[in-house]
Amino acid sequence: MSEDNEHKTVVIDLEETETSRIGELSDLEASEASGVLSVNNVSESNRIWNVRVLLNDSRAKTSYSEDILQAGEIDTGGKWESQYTITIDKPILTLTEVYDTCKTVDTEAPHWAYVHGKDNPVKITIVVKNETDGQMDNIILNKTIPMELTDIKIESTKSGVAEYDEGTRQIVWKDFIIYPNEDSQIIITGTGNVDDVDPKSAGEIVVTYRAEGQQRSGLKPDMTALTEFLSGIDTAETQPNQWEVTLECGNESDLMVRLDEAAVILTPEDGGEERRMIDEKPEAKLAPGEEWSSSFQVESKSPPQCTPEVTYTPMRVITKRVLGTVEKVPQTMPVYKIDYSKTFDPPEVNSFDKTPVEVEIEVKNAGTARLNEVTIIDNLPDDVMPPKAEHVSIWIRGEEYTGEYELVIDPEDQNPEVPHQITIHIKGLKDSVGEVQPGETVKVNYAIMAWRNRPEKEYPSPTHCKANIFPPGLEAEIASPEDGHKLGIVYKKRRISVKKAINKGANPGEYTVVLIVENKGEVTVENVEVADWIPMGFEFVSVDPAEEAPELSNVADGTNMTWKWTRMNPGDKTKLRVNVQGEGEYERREPNVTSD
Amino acid sequence: MLKIKFLGHTAFVFETEKTSLLVNPVFVNDEPVVPDDLDVRLIAVTNHLDETIGNAVSISNLAKSWILGNTKTIERIKAKGGKPWLLHPLEYEVPYEIPGLKLTPFQLHRTITNDEGETERVDNMGLFIEMGQMRVSYLGDTLVRGPFGSIESDVLIAPVGDQGVFPVKDAVSLCIDLQPRIGIPMGWSSQEQISKFDKYIDQFGQGTVSIPIKPAQELDLYWAAGNEFRYELH
Repeated sequence: MSEDNEHKTVVIDLEETETSRIGELSDLEASEASGVLSVNNVSESNRIWNVRVLLNDSRAKTSYSEDILQAGEIDTGGKWESQYTITIDKPILTLTEVYDTCKTVDTEAPHWAYVHGKDNPVKITIVVKNETDGQMDNIILNKTIPMELTDIKIESTKSGVAEYDEGTRQIVWKDFIIYPNEDSQIIITGTGNVDDVDPKSAGEIVVTYRAEGQQRSGLKPDMTALTEFLSGIDTAETQPNQWEVTLECGNESDLMVRLDEAAVILTPEDGGEERRMIDEKPEAKLAPGEEWSSSFQVESKSPPQCTPEVTYTPMRVITKRVLGTVEKVPQTMPVYKIDYSKTFDPPEVNSFDKTPVEVEIEVKNAGTARLNEVTIIDNLPDDVMPPKAEHVSIWIRGEEYTGEYELVIDPEDQNPEVPHQITIHIKGLKDSVGEVQPGETVKVNYAIMAWRNRPEKEYPSPTHCKANIFPPGLEAEIASPEDGHKLGIVYKKRRISVKKAINKGANPGEYTVVLIVENKGEVTVENVEVADWIPMGFEFVSVDPAEEAPELSNVADGTNMTWKWTRMNPGDKTKLRVNVQGEGEYERREPNVTSD
Repeated sequence: MLKIKFLGHTAFVFETEKTSLLVNPVFVNDEPVVPDDLDVRLIAVTNHLDETIGNAVSISNLAKSWILGNTKTIERIKAKGGKPWLLHPLEYEVPYEIPGLKLTPFQLHRTITNDEGETERVDNMGLFIEMGQMRVSYLGDTLVRGPFGSIESDVLIAPVGDQGVFPVKDAVSLCIDLQPRIGIPMGWSSQEQISKFDKYIDQFGQGTVSIPIKPAQELDLYWAAGNEFRYELH
């Protein structure tokens, strides 16, 4: 008997094709498979006929409804085909892509959006894994590189060769095999720049592969057929009434043939019960021209009546493979960007006054990505009293926000003489009120007290806003100029006057000095100080009103009187009647008034 | 103890065990905010405008209470039927004193728009009230702070209106400068004014407590153990 591989055998071929589509985040969206079962008569001279393909119990998950496929007659070199579909739940090659827009910030999950107006350090990691126990080869992966990316570099490949074609903006990775249950990886880097907020495509991936010896169906096909095969009985008398009966079979084709059953049934000459004199299952593999025989002895007066029963089939081999394609839907990469507005209410204040001013800063999600954190840094100039931390309110979607945030007022006081910086960092929105959706706003409100601002001075209050996604990557930023958001100061003229009259009193040596201090200006004045002088020889007796007693200080030529008032509003007038007593000439000097 | 009861707009009653003082029994929308039968010892009216005088005459006639005011105000009250023997004109900066009360009036002013559409200045009398061991600066309807800018007080009652009197910012500013223990807004025409006063005093008051008292509410002020300031709002 001959070995199978030395001669031609009929080929039963299973070529199964799977096509899969995976979603933006490498989640499997669809996977389907189909196959072609073919019987190939490789003989150069012999037909095969009565071909039947036996599926036995292996047709589950296929579209076949019968266990036996009738293939009929197949001529020399001919082929019979049958198509079927296969139900599968996943491909044998899995593809994952991690598109990280910010490789410089390590996070557990990748960054999924571009920040507007900055260089996004993009890293693309693509992994293909062989999920079978067989080797995969002829793998070709094409990755489309988005238009936003420049400085494309192939950082590494675990195996194979990868090249970037700038003309087609394709990365082609090929010439590698993946061993059973192993994977391979390619890492690509680039710099992403976006100048609008429309969501961008991260580029599709198409990978094709071939897995020889693998199949997706459970088909275990076998075959029976006939071909040119010679069989017969040779009856020879060896002694009187002694016969040797030989069953002879011969493979007349150029195919390997397997003899499965060989039987000879003897009909007794006396008419008794038939006997199976040869009953074998030789499973003999007969090469072209090879013969097989089996004989027995029987006693009979006449030539024995024998009937042969022979079952054979051309031998077959099974070949199979899986051809696959995986297409990955391009990931949509939104863009995060913020705008802001800042208002003062009132937008301007009177000079030298104290005026509460409402500050409202509204940060708008002007991009297409969800924001998880917002930071507002507001700089308050000097001559402004900052708010207390508990009076800063935050509003999101029109509702007051009570979730987590950090608030720092530096320095931590309300001294209006020094500038302050207010930093409000609202974070963890994803887990509190939900991320700020595109078009939504975060509003911060607080009051400051404009504190005697001077008209010749400028009071810029620059603002810097930042926002980030989750996980955090580069920050989206927007800032005013360093001299932005000036608090308007309305110049109000100051005019404060003091008038003096010296009237004689009821008795000699008594005088009443009348001082009238009046704020005739348009603005409140503070720290008003009025000074007058009593000549040597006279002394202070009393003042009307009594609670306006002056501060007295002796000087070389008399006594100085000083009054101080914290504040005088426009139109305020104070009249003082100072009674003095003494001897000599009451010299007049003009009183002096000063104020801030 | 001094009890301060708010009756609406700028109308307050100040009361101790010894005496009681009603200030500005005003009309709001031509309706009195103080009942005619209020039993009160003194009535002070801070300007001569009819809306400020309100039903002072009716209250005085029933309770036989004195009415105090500047000369022009007293003349106007007399013209409206006030009993001459119950009217007492005050001189600015001259204290008026009875047992349990010392009242010092100061000249302030407000503005109004007259029938010709012109802005007219109206004298207003600010009151420095010393009652029940408390010092209260009651400014009435004023656009200026006058001497109240330097008078130390336990309680400052200031207008926060928008027509001819202090805007919120000036009332807040006066509280910041004087730092009374308690700041009370009055005469507001919108809830926003009172809210802002409260908010700004809370933020910038540097120790002053804002009490936006509502009509019919009472504020009790007293010194615990003789020297610890306490208040209770009912």
